[in-house]
Amino acid sequence: MMEMGAISEIIRSRTRLVQDMSISPKIEAEGGCGVIGVACSEQIPGRHLLRALIQMKNRGNGKGGGIAALGLSAERMGVSRNLLQEDYLIQIAYLDPTAQKEVEDEYIFPSLNVDWAGWTETVDDYRRIERLQVEPPAVRRYFCRVKDDILERFMQKNDLHEPQLAEDEFIYQNSYELNKKFYTSLGNKKAFVLSHGKDMMVLKIVGYGDQVVRYYKLEDFPAHIWIGHHRYPTKGKVWHPGGAHPFVGLHEALVHNGDFSNYYSIAEYLAQRNIFPLFLTDTEVAVYLFDLWRRVYGYPLEFLIEAMAPTTERDFYMLPEKKRHVYREIQAAHIHGSPDGPWFFIIGRSENRGQCLHLLGITDTSMLRPQVFALQEGEAKIGLIASERQAIDAFLRNLAEEDHRFAAKADIYWNARGGSYTDGGAFIFTVERTPKMSRLVCIDKFGREVSVPRKSDPKHVLDEIVRRMPRAFTDSLMTVTGNACSVQDLCEDLERRAQDHMQERLVAFDIMSWLLDNLHRVPSARQGKIRDSIESTLFRILRSFPLISNAPDGSWVRIDSANRGRLRPPAKGEHSLILDVSEFAAEGKDSASAMIVEAYRKGWKRVVSYDWRGQRFCGSGLGPNSNGFRIDVFGNPGDYLGSGLDGAEIYVHTSAQDQVAQIMKSGKLVIYGDVGQTFMYAGKGGDVYVLGNAAGRPLINAVGRPRVVINGTCLDYLAESFMAGDPLNGGGFVILNGIRFNDDGEVCELETPYPGGNLFSLASGGAIYLRDPTGIVGSDQLNGGQFVTIKDPDWQLIHPYLEENQRFFGIDINDLLRIGGHVAEPSRVYRKVEAIRLKALATVDE
Amino acid sequence: LGTLCTERELIVRRHSELVHKGLEALSSLRYGIAGALGNKRWTAELILATYEQGTTGNPPSRIEYKVGKSGGGFDRLDFKTIENSTESQGSDIDLSIELNRRSVGPRITIPIPVYGAGMSFGSVSLNFMLARAIAAKRLNTFTCTGEGGYPPELMKFKDHIITQVATGMFGVREDTIQAARIVEFKYAQGAKPGLGGHLLADKVTSEVANMRESVPFTGLYSPFPFHSVYSVEDHKKHVDWILSVNPNCLVSVKVSTPVDVDMVAIGSYYANVNIIHIDGGYGGTGAAPEIAKKNIAMPIEYAIPKVHRYLVAEGVRDEVTLMASGGIRTAYDVAKAIALGADGCVIGTSEAVAVGCTHCGNCERGRGCQVGITTTDPELSLLIDPEWGARRIINLFDSWSKQWASILNSVGLRSIRELRGRTDLLIYR
Repeated sequence: MMEMGAISEIIRSRTRLVQDMSISPKIEAEGGCGVIGVACSEQIPGRHLLRALIQMKNRGNGKGGGIAALGLSAERMGVSRNLLQEDYLIQIAYLDPTAQKEVEDEYIFPSLNVDWAGWTETVDDYRRIERLQVEPPAVRRYFCRVKDDILERFMQKNDLHEPQLAEDEFIYQNSYELNKKFYTSLGNKKAFVLSHGKDMMVLKIVGYGDQVVRYYKLEDFPAHIWIGHHRYPTKGKVWHPGGAHPFVGLHEALVHNGDFSNYYSIAEYLAQRNIFPLFLTDTEVAVYLFDLWRRVYGYPLEFLIEAMAPTTERDFYMLPEKKRHVYREIQAAHIHGSPDGPWFFIIGRSENRGQCLHLLGITDTSMLRPQVFALQEGEAKIGLIASERQAIDAFLRNLAEEDHRFAAKADIYWNARGGSYTDGGAFIFTVERTPKMSRLVCIDKFGREVSVPRKSDPKHVLDEIVRRMPRAFTDSLMTVTGNACSVQDLCEDLERRAQDHMQERLVAFDIMSWLLDNLHRVPSARQGKIRDSIESTLFRILRSFPLISNAPDGSWVRIDSANRGRLRPPAKGEHSLILDVSEFAAEGKDSASAMIVEAYRKGWKRVVSYDWRGQRFCGSGLGPNSNGFRIDVFGNPGDYLGSGLDGAEIYVHTSAQDQVAQIMKSGKLVIYGDVGQTFMYAGKGGDVYVLGNAAGRPLINAVGRPRVVINGTCLDYLAESFMAGDPLNGGGFVILNGIRFNDDGEVCELETPYPGGNLFSLASGGAIYLRDPTGIVGSDQLNGGQFVTIKDPDWQLIHPYLEENQRFFGIDINDLLRIGGHVAEPSRVYRKVEAIRLKALATVDE
Repeated sequence: LGTLCTERELIVRRHSELVHKGLEALSSLRYGIAGALGNKRWTAELILATYEQGTTGNPPSRIEYKVGKSGGGFDRLDFKTIENSTESQGSDIDLSIELNRRSVGPRITIPIPVYGAGMSFGSVSLNFMLARAIAAKRLNTFTCTGEGGYPPELMKFKDHIITQVATGMFGVREDTIQAARIVEFKYAQGAKPGLGGHLLADKVTSEVANMRESVPFTGLYSPFPFHSVYSVEDHKKHVDWILSVNPNCLVSVKVSTPVDVDMVAIGSYYANVNIIHIDGGYGGTGAAPEIAKKNIAMPIEYAIPKVHRYLVAEGVRDEVTLMASGGIRTAYDVAKAIALGADGCVIGTSEAVAVGCTHCGNCERGRGCQVGITTTDPELSLLIDPEWGARRIINLFDSWSKQWASILNSVGLRSIRELRGRTDLLIYR
């Protein structure tokens, strides 16, 4: 941490800079955004951002897009390695090209030694970029250092003793003044500093994030860390690139999805430290906080994260005594500067002259914005953070198509639990670079490393898979897999065999989907590479089915976006429609969701849909009583899957995203993976099975009779305001098993079946059946519920659901009941949380 | 009354007769103005005048029916008199407004510039809902379910019923979304912004609990936010979801009036909604907490021009319909709101007053409403006969239509659409 004297000196040195400033209210409103950040042990080219950003276009409105790149290539920048490390890379956007001389004469040449300068390359004409309506700024790049005499004077004047620190501060202040003079939200807009840190750069435009990559020709531009952003601002007719993200402090770039409710309070906090925002957005003040706490105060990342997203309530008391002491001090000092409201930040930071690069994702304490983290380790290691899992997979797929070191699926995906004692709500990917090699590590706020599941010999994995297969599959495999040495070989064999015969294709389909549904049970099989091989083979096999327009007399026919007008009712003998979702729109009348509704109305009984790329609303719009209709989902389905479902069945052979099964009324939903935020919000019924975890706020405001099995856990707020009647009398309930699968594919306990501080809050009906054999969950986690012992009727009620759960996921009921090697009585393993009649809910205030 | 009446029917009939007689007697002013009736905004005279319009279908001759006595806002705004205006009650005056002003989607025109506000089953009785629905159908306008489910009895009026999707999503199902020509998102209510909804245990009878699929006699919370919507892009996704369920409906967004209501409005526009409905702080039944009413949201008189001008400046005003509510009591309030920049208004309390609400403020209790409006009590609910109630609501709007025509005549306009944003026709007295 920084010495007090130096901190005060730096803050004092800014007095002159801000003496004419006052706090202005925020003038820009935003909230929605699509964000992605990637950190890799290798340098990867910018084009891989494109697909991910294009698939998240519906999170922006084309009024602001930006990217940041960190850990650059000296060769590509046309400078020496030494220069890249030692010099500040100042990028100035010239909206008015005539301002160049004035800017340089005032803020560049007098105080900086420019070692290299040049214009950033662009395409010839911005109109060549589809839907780009505003010409992006011309960007000039300067590699420079502060002149010795200038720096010396600066140090003397401000009583600063550490040259590196002083030089950083000089650059910061120089850019601040430049922006103040040439670009303010309320004044003229001629030029502004895009970025000025070492070994990092930022570009932003009025447009979408992917258009930045294309306009500035970054397709082949290599970097260790990439951040991409689409903005969705809503105020003002005149848009300006300065308002787009990322915003910079000094050595960091920050993108944001959300909206603060205490902008003014933060602005006041910053003003007390001589910092006044110029662009008047939430994002700008957030990055100033980050720069202040990291560079000026010298906080370790853990403390910085605590200042940003304080640990509160039960989570605070779950911390070790020593941490509580420190955190209490941090909170006392910085709570007024802590952003309140929904927010999620992705921050890239270059430290130690770019030799250590950080990519951080931090969520607000209530986890109100979407966020997914992922990690993949093979020949190279890559970590990703995004608004949606589908964007992560889009990035990986793009990368894997070109570079065999990567797979199209990550090894693990997870969500952060905001402001928590468990992971602190933040994860940090660090790229450490030495001249010989680079490596990536991922840690949480508390410094605990996140590792990927174990990998082992491919032949061994294959054997284990075959050992678990149903007899029917192994019999049919006998003829083809004699020489297979890996899952990949098996996939290739099956694909080859499926080429010519419809029957073989159907067998291959069954085997492939069984594989996807059962990898969690196989030792060492939870690897992105294996899942990728299976899924991509499955897609190719499905793509080999005949199109609906020229189908012979097969029982399965295929349709895709190009042929969507050719949909017809099923002919005699046809029963399944294969839907290639890849090219369908994400929403609207040309969406996959609309196509599924049309297929249902035309009389199809089953739709096997594949290659979802984040398209939304799968299974919505079927209307009431859609019983007898089934949808299978492969790929990356988007938000709101199964929302409104009333009768039909959906089998998701992968993880699902946010807002799944909102207001679901009846039917069945099986998810072979995790599920995102606000799962089954205001659900009314239906049987739902989730193999993994649910994120924040599942089953909020659910009524009626939803019956849900979640085998993992939830982040927090499970079944808040649950009103699902009497479970023993037709009402609803949630079975929370609190388990995971270890590297050997065996069921094992999570550290706690429920980490959150809010379980069943304000609930008035329904129940949670919590698998908690050692009684870890405490009554302090309940607010309106109570623990009771489960009785025979309870067990009779939930047993059939656990049997079904066993059938879907292979989770043996005896494994669930096992304590210390013995199968125990259900009442010793499961606890029931039921509603107590709260005074607040039962009385009328007088 | 004949022997076919049960004792209960007899009691109901006699009770309602007496209540109605009493209200009629009061509005005749034979006994002067009742001292305990009303308040500064909803004065005794306005309450009685509204009731009388429900009876006669004409503006009252002796009672003040245009303004209250709050001393501000609508009560001090007035229309300028234009010298050479023709005071003819011409039938060629156009009072209709367009609810979809975008180039795509179904066109829906309503012949009067008002429709009914959301009042849920549970907060009000089924009979009152039916009265409103019958009236909406005959007037060819709309009424709204509120957030309490969609009673099957309302289904036959579905072409005139807005399905509300509010934060608790009680009773929101695909069939109720698909049945509607207009779906309304209720993000917040001006009477109690940031507080969500709360139906006290008392009113959650078995029927109400059944409709909402919850637990009888347990209070029901609607959360303050939509848990799936914390930003404008979430909101767009939310709208897209409704359109994926019912591609042919119009989408309305009801929001309260915080200081940045203009930003909310423009965000809604970008999310492709058709109707922006801003709800000021003066509305709400007696069930909304006193401390919240009038104290949190901006007065609707301020909010309307703020949003209207903002949308004009953004160049999108003619692509959205702006509806205002929250304290719109009279035909004059509606006209003034339109002159301030709204396209039309959404009416709740006035309809209740037309069928006998006296603004006593006991709405939150199950047996609190002595005229059978805001109650779920099976006997009290019978005090409103749907046909009788519908007639009164239609009469009220008939009277209002005459007043709008007269206002338009007096300022020399032929269409209510021309009045929009004409603040130059207003004076502040």
